[in-house]
Amino acid sequence: MSIKDKVPVTILTGFLGSGKTTLLNRILSEEHGKRIAVIENEYGEVGIDQGLVINADEEVFEMSNGCICCTVRGDLIRVLGNLMKRRDKFDYVLVETTGLADPGPVAQTFFMDEEISSEFTLDGIVTLVDAAHIDQQLGRSDESSEQVAFADVLVLNKTDLVSDDALNTLESRLRDMNRMTRIIRAENAKVPIETVLNLSAFDLDQILKRRPTFLEPEYPFEWTGVYDLDAGKYELMLEDGPDPEMSLVALLNQGESEKELKDGAESSVRLYAEKANTLEPRNTIPYGEHINLKLDDKGNKSFILKIEKPTKIGLFTQHTAEEFNMKVIKSEDNKEIPFNTERFWQAEHEHDDEVGSIAIERFGDVDPEKLNTWMGRLLSEKGVDIFRTKGFISYSGNPRRIVFQGVHMLFTAQPDKEWGNEPRRNQLVFIGRNLNEKEMQEGFDKCLI
Amino acid sequence: MPDIEPFSPRGMFHEGWTAEVNDYAIACGWALKGKQFIVGDVAGGIFAFEGDTGKIIWKKENTHSGGLLAMAIHPEGEIFATSGQDGNVQICNCHEGKVIKTLDLGKGWVEHLKWSNDGLFLAIASSKKVYVFNEVGEEKWISEDHPSTVSAITWSNKNELATACYGRVTFFDVVNNKTNQKLEWQGSLVSMELSPDGDIVACGSQDNSVHFWRRSTGMDAEMTGYPSKPSHLSFDDSGKLLATSGSERITVWSFIGNGPEGTMPGELCHHTEPISSLAFSNKGMLVASGSRDGSVVASFLKNDGNGDPVGAAFAGDLVGAISWRPDDCALAAVNAKGVVNVWKFKVRTNLFSKGFK
Repeated sequence: MSIKDKVPVTILTGFLGSGKTTLLNRILSEEHGKRIAVIENEYGEVGIDQGLVINADEEVFEMSNGCICCTVRGDLIRVLGNLMKRRDKFDYVLVETTGLADPGPVAQTFFMDEEISSEFTLDGIVTLVDAAHIDQQLGRSDESSEQVAFADVLVLNKTDLVSDDALNTLESRLRDMNRMTRIIRAENAKVPIETVLNLSAFDLDQILKRRPTFLEPEYPFEWTGVYDLDAGKYELMLEDGPDPEMSLVALLNQGESEKELKDGAESSVRLYAEKANTLEPRNTIPYGEHINLKLDDKGNKSFILKIEKPTKIGLFTQHTAEEFNMKVIKSEDNKEIPFNTERFWQAEHEHDDEVGSIAIERFGDVDPEKLNTWMGRLLSEKGVDIFRTKGFISYSGNPRRIVFQGVHMLFTAQPDKEWGNEPRRNQLVFIGRNLNEKEMQEGFDKCLI
Repeated sequence: MPDIEPFSPRGMFHEGWTAEVNDYAIACGWALKGKQFIVGDVAGGIFAFEGDTGKIIWKKENTHSGGLLAMAIHPEGEIFATSGQDGNVQICNCHEGKVIKTLDLGKGWVEHLKWSNDGLFLAIASSKKVYVFNEVGEEKWISEDHPSTVSAITWSNKNELATACYGRVTFFDVVNNKTNQKLEWQGSLVSMELSPDGDIVACGSQDNSVHFWRRSTGMDAEMTGYPSKPSHLSFDDSGKLLATSGSERITVWSFIGNGPEGTMPGELCHHTEPISSLAFSNKGMLVASGSRDGSVVASFLKNDGNGDPVGAAFAGDLVGAISWRPDDCALAAVNAKGVVNVWKFKVRTNLFSKGFK
């Protein structure tokens, strides 16, 4: 049986009152032509209106070795075991967990139990978040952080009760905790059904398509604009924005290809590491230096750019141009020069939560044996704290890329499409608690050939 | 089904009859001393066939809304019980399938049914509770809540019932309402079998091992190395051998001498996919196995647990359950497609030089 033939399962988690039952009812009542079985274990709240709903007991079984990573849900095994015998097979299974539940044992059931994993595939984990209350909960309870860390999709519900600013802050905090997740805002759990069913959440190609920057290293800047400028004097004009200052690096001769942009970004990272010189408005921006634009004054602020001969300049800025409505204007005729190319970067955030994500991206092949040893050790030592692992790797000598995904210390790896002419590379994401990024990257680097 | 070609019965398996039920057949058994064969399907259909010919005698549909989970035929073979997702147990008459009594146990699934060997009691497991009724459906005993859902029940002797759940096996005296013994082990016990003398308690565990205890000495042991969980266990009638599933091989532990601790188990490699049902014959060291690949094999075993196949047949699809006729002269297998196969099993003995009829 191939993955395609297996019945996909979505795990629905979220704190009490986050709107799980509303979402379930919405899914069940919508015209989608799918036969959905719902396994729920939360009596009370609001009842489910229709569909096949099976009550489970929520029995978490810890194995005799006492390892919390090897816990499974006994009730799920029984219910799914029975479901797969029915002739009127289901197209889809939704498992709703209680508000306080750790999604780990539910997800692990699909890896640990051979009979279940041969018939069902974990399609994704959807976590509902109550936008008005999650902020407090994140600080107080481990469960809510874990539910965020496990999520393939975060539905930020009840957005009507919260200001846009607060939502933005919350979203960026959630994104820090889980870089793989897709965040959807909703009022009253109103989300398109395809955002919670058939997620193919483990399909990295899809994730990459949706968020091409998620695997990238984090940069101290969010935006780059490349401008093609003739010799002369220009002004960099900024309106009021979210910050009274903004750091910037301006580079001469900045190319526009992806490679040249990345090279420019690497140089800028080094420059950003140096202490920034503060620059008051009306002063000239130096090239190849880390500067801090002072933006305290109200209204337009402008800084001078001098170009001696025609060239392309690259501005690597802490915030996006849009946030300050930033423009480059030729002083001579006050004409705006649009950028030729812009590029957004995965910006570095302050990690104030224990739960966070780490991405590793490296070109080349890995030695399967070394990788196994490293992964084995990493997961056995840190398995409790690593909630999710996803990625693909290039095994030397293997024409196909190896896709893997895991929950705690359990993971599956399987051959995927052929590499063909694509450059061989490795992309891994770990989501967990107190992860040591440097150590993990160094560990992985040692597995490279 | 890879590597398996359909084949007609071989060796000691001979042509019998075949029939079909409505859905995935999950339970079966012989009634009326082998004169009748009853099959239950997952949707709640129950079908009674004539044991020798396969002619349908009666059938009932939708007996349990939500589906059927278990069936148990009374040792005398005149009545049987079924249970399902509707939280009900029905006690029925084998001759016509007529319901004698319906027991409503609430909204939990009723997953396990066992008649005591003398037929006086019917034990029923539903969620965390175990109930004991008598033949006519009068309640005789109810357990306290177990720590988790009861995963197996079996009678150890006249009035003593064993239950397995996460973390422990408990023996209850259901007549005097007391707990005789508690055997604890941190693990999810998914199956349980007792040796015929009741001394050895063997449990398959979710973490791919078999854990067993000897009640007389209190000693316990764990047999590991299974690729998946041993959901099916069967003791031979002498209690010497324990056959276990957990892979495409049957692993047989021999309790002769100092075994099975520290000994190598016997291994029977007849199937290409994991074992999905397992049953020793009523007499003798003859074990029948059904597999997810649809094959059914009977093997004669030696004292060390190794042995040779003596008969085989192809049932067509995942074997849901198998059952020896009380006289061991026929073997039945029911499968995931709802197909029922009954093969005659002929063995030459001094009494029957040409085999059984």
